[in-house]
Amino acid sequence: MSNIHFPVYILMLLLIFAVTIPLQRKSYGRRFQILMVSVLGIAWIMALLELLMVLWDAPYSYTFGSYPAGIGIEFLVDEFSALMTLIVLTLSLLIIIYSLKDLEHEIESSRMYSYYTLVFLLIFSMIGMIFTNDMFNLYVFMEILSITSVAIIAIKKKKDTLMASMKYLMMGAIGSVTVLMGIALIYMVTGQLNMSAINEEISAVWRLYPRNILLAMGFMITGFSIKAAIFPLHNWLPDAHSTAPTPSSALLSGLVVKAYIFSIAKIMYRVVGKNISVDIGIADYLIIFAVLSMMMGSVFALTQRDIKRRLAYSSVSQIGYIFLGLALASEMGFSAALFHVVSHAFMKSALFLSAGSIIYLTGKRDVKNLDGIGYEMPITMTVFSIGVLGMIGIPGTSGFMSKWYLGLAVLDAGHPELLIVLLLSSFLNALYYLPIIVSAFLRESPGRPLEMHRDGIPGTMKVSMVLVAVGSLVIGLFPHLVMDIIQQAVPTFIGSGMGL
Amino acid sequence: MNFDLSTIANNINYIGAMILFIIGLYTVLTHSNLIKKIIGINIMETSIFLFFVSIGYVKGAVAPIIDPSTGDKVFVNPLPAAMILTGIVVAVSITAFALSIIIKIHEAYGTIDLDEIMKIRSVEEDE
Repeated sequence: MSNIHFPVYILMLLLIFAVTIPLQRKSYGRRFQILMVSVLGIAWIMALLELLMVLWDAPYSYTFGSYPAGIGIEFLVDEFSALMTLIVLTLSLLIIIYSLKDLEHEIESSRMYSYYTLVFLLIFSMIGMIFTNDMFNLYVFMEILSITSVAIIAIKKKKDTLMASMKYLMMGAIGSVTVLMGIALIYMVTGQLNMSAINEEISAVWRLYPRNILLAMGFMITGFSIKAAIFPLHNWLPDAHSTAPTPSSALLSGLVVKAYIFSIAKIMYRVVGKNISVDIGIADYLIIFAVLSMMMGSVFALTQRDIKRRLAYSSVSQIGYIFLGLALASEMGFSAALFHVVSHAFMKSALFLSAGSIIYLTGKRDVKNLDGIGYEMPITMTVFSIGVLGMIGIPGTSGFMSKWYLGLAVLDAGHPELLIVLLLSSFLNALYYLPIIVSAFLRESPGRPLEMHRDGIPGTMKVSMVLVAVGSLVIGLFPHLVMDIIQQAVPTFIGSGMGL
Repeated sequence: MNFDLSTIANNINYIGAMILFIIGLYTVLTHSNLIKKIIGINIMETSIFLFFVSIGYVKGAVAPIIDPSTGDKVFVNPLPAAMILTGIVVAVSITAFALSIIIKIHEAYGTIDLDEIMKIRSVEEDE
């Protein structure tokens, strides 16, 4: 069962299903939900087969309509893109199963179908961004992603969401305009839009136009950093991620920011090439911003009382880890970054989904009010604890493994001082996460008997939440499942950008 | 590199694009009226359209429509223009979406001035 058209089939399936959802709005109900989950399931199976195919055979490039890469649009199907597609689809599948019940009390039932249209378009554009090997195509997918990701926040009818989504849209628009300017500058020097072709041109002539390439990279990386919420440009993220409906928060925090990180990786390693990025001096600057993100995100998170805001600020610091791995510009650093992308996607989704369950059942968002909630919702809080332990980096969780790989990469790159930053940031994580689980399990709640309850949330929510947590544990205990593929993917990814 | 007038005159569209970009960014960052912010983003987008189309322009060239009777001619590069068509569509959809959110904000707060909205929100938080 192998077929080179699988990436396109996945995209077509998601796109066609997204636009047909509004036609079925009359029949929104159980049958529609089963249909929706099975469509994603089919896409997931195709992504799995795609990954196995790439691992057994070889990476290949897919050209649309058989037009050669210079004229048409090219998709690069390698280990990296196949693995990330699988991760995106796995998590979206679980989050959508969770959302079936949770959304009922967050948005009006008449808007349910438009929510799912947007979510399917969102997943579609993320997968497109991962596969594409064409600069302008990347821009178009990015715009679809940024509009849909604002829309799945704004769909919740509350005053806060309006201002948060407005801010996100403004920052996002500035970001995409900046990226387009960078693409224009690159096009001006090379006359190409295909990433591999640009790389060939640049590695031949970059010494003639160093300033132009520096400017183009600066524009593009700044633009993507706004959307990925690197420290000084992060201020839209906490509002947007904390006011959104829970499934949207999980999607945005777990997956959407990663799509922008991949784009930065593509610009640095595939378009411009690793050696030139280092020679131009971009990588050293990025380390500074990565460190700032790691520290400041945690410091801000300390002061937040709203549980979802605390999680959102913690995303800023976790994105700093991923960015640090990228900025080291070594194969080990990039593998650590990709591993953390996967493990953070699972951990953060587990945290957001369990926090959403607490809000679903009790309506409490303030971390001070969570005393004794572990007795009321044991399963939810266990999932939450797995996420928390991962964030801190306790051995056995996926967070430990990603910090381990990152630490090794930092030492390998000759920056031992960054190891201290890494440890310090972990301590800060412990400082703002641990009190939540301590008070949930060990404190007595006022006016509530201390007896074990069953969670009292719908079964679909429980199942998907537990599966995400189990995924996080499996990656933590058997990191080689993911790391072997990543180690195979990284040389081809960086290698394809080395040019000469 | 000597900056005489002819250099400026030859690159006037690039310089103009950059000036427009900065005007747009300044408008977005400094104005508190949300509609003016949207206008600023539109100015930024327009500057890039100008920039992109300038890249494809060749002096004295004609539109790339092949006419056998006139023989060979120099054509401008049609690719940037085609991309900018996509860019305009994207810009319009972002503007439309942003305006629709602004309408909702006006319904909720009764104003579209960011400073006033912040004041209303801080009063609400105090209560």
